[in-house]
Amino acid sequence: MNTASHILLMALYAGCVAVVGGVLLKDAPRQQARSAAEIFGSLVGAALALGWILYVLPI
Amino acid sequence: MAARPSPKRPARPAEAPAAPHTSRPLALVYLLGWLVPGGGHLWLGRTAKGAVFLVVLPLMFVIGLALEGRLFAFTPGEPLVALAAIANIGSGLPYFIAQALGAGAGRAVAVTYEYGNAFLITAGLLNALVIIDAHDIALGRR
Repeated sequence: MNTASHILLMALYAGCVAVVGGVLLKDAPRQQARSAAEIFGSLVGAALALGWILYVLPI
Repeated sequence: MAARPSPKRPARPAEAPAAPHTSRPLALVYLLGWLVPGGGHLWLGRTAKGAVFLVVLPLMFVIGLALEGRLFAFTPGEPLVALAAIANIGSGLPYFIAQALGAGAGRAVAVTYEYGNAFLITAGLLNALVIIDAHDIALGRR
């Protein structure tokens, strides 16, 4: 797994969590897919936003 | 003058205590759901949901091991490690199989070590949520 990049692993993690979360939260397949997409987007978006905030802040 | 029920809001019966919706013993639903991720759903007839959990949760567990994450041993003196161990055990059979095979030693210097831990811990915690969902299904709430 040396070739795996951080962002790829983060997206893979978000994808797995999103699929389980979407299926847990909703019952209809279309709603499950929508919910999973929202969770995935939220996780990846928040990670990227936090990454840029931490990049700018001199911590 | 007698009070008439509002036509917009029909009278609701008092909420009865939740009774099992299925003839299957709840304890077995929990046990199966814990040991086999998605097993509770499969047993309760929610095949599609159960199949998704059966694929994704063990996959997360295997990815965690491949990323050289660690299966933590329960250490009461170290609260965070103890919590991680409880989360790991939440994965059920995959955890015990990995332990039996000697996998999950973890390599703290590996660049993917923390990612591996995140996958392993999250797989166990998500399985706990899946068991709670199976509980709701068994009680007829979903």
